[in-house]
Amino acid sequence: MSASAQPRTVPGAWTEPRRSMVVCGVIGLAVTAAIDEIVFHQILGWHHFYDRSTLAVGLLSDGLLHTAELLALVAGFFAYADLRRRRALAPAHAWAGFFLGAGVFQLFDGIVDHKLLRLHQIRYGVDIAPYDWAWNIAGLVLLLTGVVLAFRAARRGPAAAR
Amino acid sequence: MIPAHVHPGPAAAPGLFGLVTVAGALLVTVLYQLAAARLRRRGDAWPRWRGASFTAGGAGVAWAAVGPLPGGPFTAHMVQHLITGMAAPLLLVLARPLTLALRALPPGPTRRGLPALAHSRAAGLLVFPPLAALLDVGGLWLLYRTGLFAATRHEPWLHAAVHTHVLAAGLLFTFAVSRLDPVRRRWSLALRGTTLLAAGAAHAVLAKTLYAAGPPGTAFTAADLHTGAQVMYYGGDLAEAALAVVVAASWYAATGRAWARERRTADTGPVPLPVTGAPAGR
Repeated sequence: MSASAQPRTVPGAWTEPRRSMVVCGVIGLAVTAAIDEIVFHQILGWHHFYDRSTLAVGLLSDGLLHTAELLALVAGFFAYADLRRRRALAPAHAWAGFFLGAGVFQLFDGIVDHKLLRLHQIRYGVDIAPYDWAWNIAGLVLLLTGVVLAFRAARRGPAAAR
Repeated sequence: MIPAHVHPGPAAAPGLFGLVTVAGALLVTVLYQLAAARLRRRGDAWPRWRGASFTAGGAGVAWAAVGPLPGGPFTAHMVQHLITGMAAPLLLVLARPLTLALRALPPGPTRRGLPALAHSRAAGLLVFPPLAALLDVGGLWLLYRTGLFAATRHEPWLHAAVHTHVLAAGLLFTFAVSRLDPVRRRWSLALRGTTLLAAGAAHAVLAKTLYAAGPPGTAFTAADLHTGAQVMYYGGDLAEAALAVVVAASWYAATGRAWARERRTADTGPVPLPVTGAPAGR
């Protein structure tokens, strides 16, 4: 982590682009997971508290994912506050990380949770194909946005990222 | 002895155990406030919010033991469990009772004995975070996934023992993970964070299985079971997030101090300046 810090020879060039990207990636992941949980589980009630099919492993992975998302949200925001405090935040890398994290979670949820483990589906009692497409395409758009931003941030370099 | 009886509500009505709990909570709260007052009288700083936190924790323990609790029997039990095992321990531990005791005790055998106890091998083992988590969440799995829960509803003494264990294990777990008071060994942030993650996941999974099937040997209505399981699931989340915030905030404060120190020495080269009282935050 600290290895990614820029050499502190130039005054002001204290940003830590890689750490900025990782920290905001964690936040992006956790925020998307929290939105999924709050909007779709609790407000809309589309997929519910307990939709397990049969897999005990699925239940365990769900519990781990849920807890990890909650802890990641807390840890991510404190790590972000630490970057801000030390003026080490590289905003371009941070945004790239946020979108990458959000896209990774959305696609993971859409493909692994919904389709492979079949923990729950987006909705029940309707044709879920359009929901699945919308869900996964939204995830892909988030991920591609993150990739484009990451390339731009890398091209502009850490100095321009301030 | 209270005869075994069937009535909707927690198994033990406000009987002897409830009264003992209330008296105990009142006693420790008064002792805490007296100790804090003693510190302030001699000019030491001891934040007021810590006293408020401890008092709220004590009140929570007392209320969970005797107070009217909402919902059906299983939901009421779960609310009681959440207060006793999670909310109250967090409030009590945040008030740093051990630190207060160490500073407020007058010289004498108790003052010598307390640090010896806190630094003893047994205490060091107990506050090893994974063990504390196992005692806490493992106890819950035993309670809800064996016949133990059904038995507590017929045997008041068993109910009292389980209730006491839930409080003690909750205190131990919160104490071990938050590490606010001085103990034998300072476990790393990574170990404490991983422990919190594992314990939180085990708690969430148990809540989900309770939603599907109640404890063996009990017959609660489906609605009561579902509400109780959801209280456990989301209440567990809240307590866990609050504990995570406590851990992260103490990390933030500690790294801030370390960073300020490092920057002071880096700015001034090999010869450190005399401390000028710069704020630690920036």
